Amino acid sequence: MRRRLIDILFASVVIGALLAAWELGVAYGYLKVYQFPPASRIAKGFVDLTTVGFPTGITVWSHTATTIGRILQGYAGALVLAIPLGFVIGSSRVLDKMTAPLIVFGRSIATLSLLPLAIVWFGTGELTKIVLIGYGCFWVMLSNVIAGVKYVDPVLLKAGRAYGASGIELARTVVLPAALPRIFAGARMALGVGFMVIVGAEMIGTVEGLGALIMEARTFYRSEITIVGMLIIGVLGFAISTGLMWLERALVPWGDPLAGVRR
Amino acid sequence: MKPGRTSDILLGLAGVAIVVAGWELLVRGGAVDPKLFPSPTMAFAEAAERLSAATVAQHTLWSLYRIVVGFLLGAVAGTVIGIAAGWYRGIGLVLRPIIELLRPIPPLAWIPLAIIWFGLGEPSKFFIIFLGAFFPVVTAAYVGITSVDPVLIRAAQTFGLRGPGLLLRVGLPAAAPDLLTGIRIGWGLAFGILVAAELIAADRGLGFMIMNERNTTGSVAVIVVGITLIGILNLITDWAIAAASQRYIGRWHGR
Repeated sequence: MRRRLIDILFASVVIGALLAAWELGVAYGYLKVYQFPPASRIAKGFVDLTTVGFPTGITVWSHTATTIGRILQGYAGALVLAIPLGFVIGSSRVLDKMTAPLIVFGRSIATLSLLPLAIVWFGTGELTKIVLIGYGCFWVMLSNVIAGVKYVDPVLLKAGRAYGASGIELARTVVLPAALPRIFAGARMALGVGFMVIVGAEMIGTVEGLGALIMEARTFYRSEITIVGMLIIGVLGFAISTGLMWLERALVPWGDPLAGVRR
Repeated sequence: MKPGRTSDILLGLAGVAIVVAGWELLVRGGAVDPKLFPSPTMAFAEAAERLSAATVAQHTLWSLYRIVVGFLLGAVAGTVIGIAAGWYRGIGLVLRPIIELLRPIPPLAWIPLAIIWFGLGEPSKFFIIFLGAFFPVVTAAYVGITSVDPVLIRAAQTFGLRGPGLLLRVGLPAAAPDLLTGIRIGWGLAFGILVAAELIAADRGLGFMIMNERNTTGSVAVIVVGITLIGILNLITDWAIAAASQRYIGRWHGR
């Protein structure tokens, strides 16, 4: 306990000293404010963002809400498509083998490389962003659902059949609970992917959303606003993944929270 | 080769063939407008007409050059920092909170800052790709080195090994499997990021090639071929890294 306190104190002192050196470096002109806005300026940027907003009138909360709204729409679309499809593919050996190369390829396509094509098809509006997020989430989700269904312990299946379960009942009482931990892991990873995609997608053709905020702030030489935007993106990403992990532990306590197909 | 392997491959090929043929037929049959989504044969014919092989090769080489430089920098820095933070207590105490704060920020969100720091040229692209590789590698290196079996370390100490020797001959090899997993994830991430970096600010590379085609209202065929090419490159390089790391760690890691 005591050792832990000393550790925290040590880390805080060193990090505090670094921040102070940064602040002084700017004050004495060794570092350019525009390139390395110090902590005090970043704090001021945050206040500006919450009161005045950037561009004027759009506060940071409305940027955040826009971004979350876009992610959720694409994410929900991907889950709705991927879960049933994954169940169908995962429960048939032939279908699984037939689709395996297609799924590997679908995942290998860099989601943002679809941006030009999506613009041709859907214009530069909301739909393009939602479709891109959906695409990124879809493959991660699909491969995890398939893996979850495919790798259900055969002993469980045999036991279920021995008790007379079959068809839909077997799927509901045995396959679904056994596959859920993987499905959850997939849902968590998919949200992470969606989060990555949105920042890139928002950098083009919009002034609303966190990705647009950080890009716009740069063009107006407001680097401290860029950094505030980045930190909010980071905090949001962290909160979402921690929240989902927590939800997962509460809802499927029988699963290993780290299970999941990495790639 | 395991039994059933051949039939698996045949089924896979059949799946691919059905999709490609279906796509071709839909476009030829008039259900899909070829100007919006050309069939595979049309796309390749048109792309070949519009771009010479040399141009495509040039864009590809630029993309590969950027990703290799950025990735190597990120993998090396990630390994060194991750290992140092895991091996030396003091370094870990300071670096871990900083890394944990920055890690959830997607690399693409660094693009504006990269432009502020490095301008619009190559270094800003290297930096973005560097970040893509750095965070998975640094995390994997840290996890790998902190979960080394303490028995191994104590045994080595008993034989008189300590200091850098202990790190290099026991710590590092024991952390290698985790580290290589991180490197593979880092490569995949770096690849996705590369294209995005090139879409937003570049004058060459595959990402630029497809975005430019869109901006100059050129042909969708080039975009489709470009996307496919990027996907195939990612796939091939990922396999190569997986195979190489399998060979390397297969010796003491039963996977």
